[in-house]
Amino acid sequence: MKQVDTISGQDLREMFAVATAWLEKSASDIDALNVFPVPDGDTGTNMLLTMRSSIEEAYRAPDRSASAVVQAMADGALMGARGNSGVILSQIWRGLAQGLAEKESFTASDLANALLQASTMAYKGINNPVEGTILTVIREVASAAQAQAASGNNDLISVMEATLSAANESVANTPSLLPVLKEAGVVDAGGQGLYTILEGACRYLRGEAEQMKFRKPQIIVSNIPLITRSPQMIAADEVPYGYCTEFLLKGKGLDPDKIRTRLEKKGQSLIVVGNDSTIRVHIHTLDPGDVIHYATPLGTMHQVSIRNMDEQRQSFLEMQKERMPAVDMAIVAVVSGVGLTEVFTSLGVTAVVPGGQTMNPSTKDLLQAVESVASDKVIVLPNNKNVVLTAEQVQSLTGKSIKVVPTETVPQGVAALLAFDYEADFETNVQIMNKAKSAVRTIEITRAVRSTRLGGLNIKKNQAIGLLDGDLLAAGNDTSGVLNKMLAELNLNEAEVVTIYYGADTEPAEAERVSVTIREQYPQLQIEVIRGGQPHYNYIVSIE
Amino acid sequence: MVKIVTDSLSDITSDIARGLGITVVPLTVFFGHESFLDRITITTDEFYYKLTHGAAWPTTTQPPPSAFADVYNKLAEETDAILAITLSSKLSGTYGSALNAKNLVKKKCRIEVIDSLTVAMGLGLIVIAAAKAAQAGANLDELIDLVHSAMSRSHLIAYFDTLKYLAKGGRIGKAQGLLGAVLSVKPILTVKDGEMSPLTRLRSQAAGMDYLYNFVAGFPHIEEVAVEHTTAPDEADRLVERLSSVFPRERIYRSTVSPVVGTYAGPGAMAVTVLEAEKK
Repeated sequence: MKQVDTISGQDLREMFAVATAWLEKSASDIDALNVFPVPDGDTGTNMLLTMRSSIEEAYRAPDRSASAVVQAMADGALMGARGNSGVILSQIWRGLAQGLAEKESFTASDLANALLQASTMAYKGINNPVEGTILTVIREVASAAQAQAASGNNDLISVMEATLSAANESVANTPSLLPVLKEAGVVDAGGQGLYTILEGACRYLRGEAEQMKFRKPQIIVSNIPLITRSPQMIAADEVPYGYCTEFLLKGKGLDPDKIRTRLEKKGQSLIVVGNDSTIRVHIHTLDPGDVIHYATPLGTMHQVSIRNMDEQRQSFLEMQKERMPAVDMAIVAVVSGVGLTEVFTSLGVTAVVPGGQTMNPSTKDLLQAVESVASDKVIVLPNNKNVVLTAEQVQSLTGKSIKVVPTETVPQGVAALLAFDYEADFETNVQIMNKAKSAVRTIEITRAVRSTRLGGLNIKKNQAIGLLDGDLLAAGNDTSGVLNKMLAELNLNEAEVVTIYYGADTEPAEAERVSVTIREQYPQLQIEVIRGGQPHYNYIVSIE
Repeated sequence: MVKIVTDSLSDITSDIARGLGITVVPLTVFFGHESFLDRITITTDEFYYKLTHGAAWPTTTQPPPSAFADVYNKLAEETDAILAITLSSKLSGTYGSALNAKNLVKKKCRIEVIDSLTVAMGLGLIVIAAAKAAQAGANLDELIDLVHSAMSRSHLIAYFDTLKYLAKGGRIGKAQGLLGAVLSVKPILTVKDGEMSPLTRLRSQAAGMDYLYNFVAGFPHIEEVAVEHTTAPDEADRLVERLSSVFPRERIYRSTVSPVVGTYAGPGAMAVTVLEAEKK
């Protein structure tokens, strides 16, 4: 087995030159992981450019000691840092440089200590550290390195391998820490970038530099279940994105902490890093002039970059359009209940407006949802008799094309949504969905809110009542009894699929018993029991 | 006479291949460390049994260039023109192998390779059309034109009885949006721009068969029809029976979906392909 006890400055430089080349192969894949709103648009490219600047500087180091090389790399990273993740990466290098100060070469325990400093330094530059990002990854990497070095193993390869496997796990776990990643079904791009750099370095140590030329880094796949598309729960009024403003400030006696405090109120995603002679600033602000105006008297400004993030967002949406099938059409559905929301979301609804029986959404709620989706053509599924009319008002209030498929029940909504044809145009889809909704029958079981006499039935308050496609057909004391009575009214011999969505107040075991009863009577049926979690309705049953 | 070569994902049965003089190059299926040549050292029935009963998850690899080179070299003994038509390059590296293999041929022989951008009988019906034309004496340039025309006329759709295998295999392209459904849904997929792409979703097998039937019945001018399945021969029989009202039953090609695609389609899947007649 190959073992490495110390790393010299020259080795360090070669190791990260190879790692940078490794990152380059993956940069565009990492760019593709971005989810918006993100602090910077092209994470992979930005990290690559930061590393390149770092390596260039390493070749200019005054001598070949590890400390001189790593200090040069930290300076280079700071000078060349781009975007949020690039700036954090430069902080990591700065921490490493501090940790390896005055070392001619370094050992496994030196590296572990330096990684700890790197992790501390990475958090330090940032006002509001967010977990589930490159920060989490460097922190977990550092503690894995500590543990490995503390175990008495002096082999640098095994320390690097331990950090690499910690990085892998950490990256794979980012979606569970950061909901926006989970919704997009990707891992954090910055974390992935750091992993790829570490992987390149580790492979170099193992002597695989030759083979690496013919291979490509892999993007880590999270084993956390993906949510297909985020239900854009509407809709806190949209936050304006403003300008991503970055620059390098050079001067004498600069004070990063003071500058950070002063800029704190001027915007978001603020990062201020550096030393008393060079400082890099990254901020998202509505007024870049104000930020520049503050910094100008402090020293000289370099690499000033101001980018309009609304434009970035626009081009991001354009890119999404290309990626997603048929995203030129969006579907907005009115749904209540956690389970039912999940059903609609998993079937591709773009936005969900909470609501239904006794909590009808307003026209404004629906309008906001329609406006919030990226598409100009929107199909609305009201899924309730009392919402259809409200939904139809939206057309006159927006410049978008709206079609309401007047689904009056949840099963009708599901049937319409399922029938969506990815290849067909707007008008055709509306027709297809209208047709599909009529092919399904709905049973709803709820409780009477008052005593009444209706359709020959004497109904007491709180009794269970059953509706077939909105018409009251049965009443009784227990819900499953009423449901069975309702099912008996229908000719289930001609049905194929029965789906039972049980409500928030219904026991799963009871729902299971109901399904067993149906299965015994109609063995040919495909029966599914799903937790709908809807209020008021004990059962919503779809018969197809 | 121009010789026609394709890969085993064309789902062309050995009878048809023999009758039309088509050479089929197999892909390789692995179950753990065991490897099989598609349709040669493993039958489709054996494959689906292992897929649904075995512990090992199968993986597949494209034929190496040498496999195509062997075929080219052998055919070059008897012809000076070969046309290879492969499955979509977006689903497999087979096209690359078939192309690279040209450099390994010693004899003087013109070899052209076409990426069909489709798969299964979507590819199979194109290959069959080319083989028939080659037998009728078409030259290589005419055949290339014919294949390009047939590519625009070949329409495949598939019914999957489960999404489980598609999800496990990971090779889903734009069909990604189908995953993660809470309800059990039966997707209808097609091949679009060389990739699997979702068309719509249904709730039952019966609805799936209706959809396939209506798809075929919707074409006014049909040149060929193919019906293939993974593990549902009886259902395929019934579908062919229904389709005989729109197309002569004896002319409907029957086949099974190759193990490579079957890894993703899973048991109970069914596909139909229509080769539209050329517009006069």
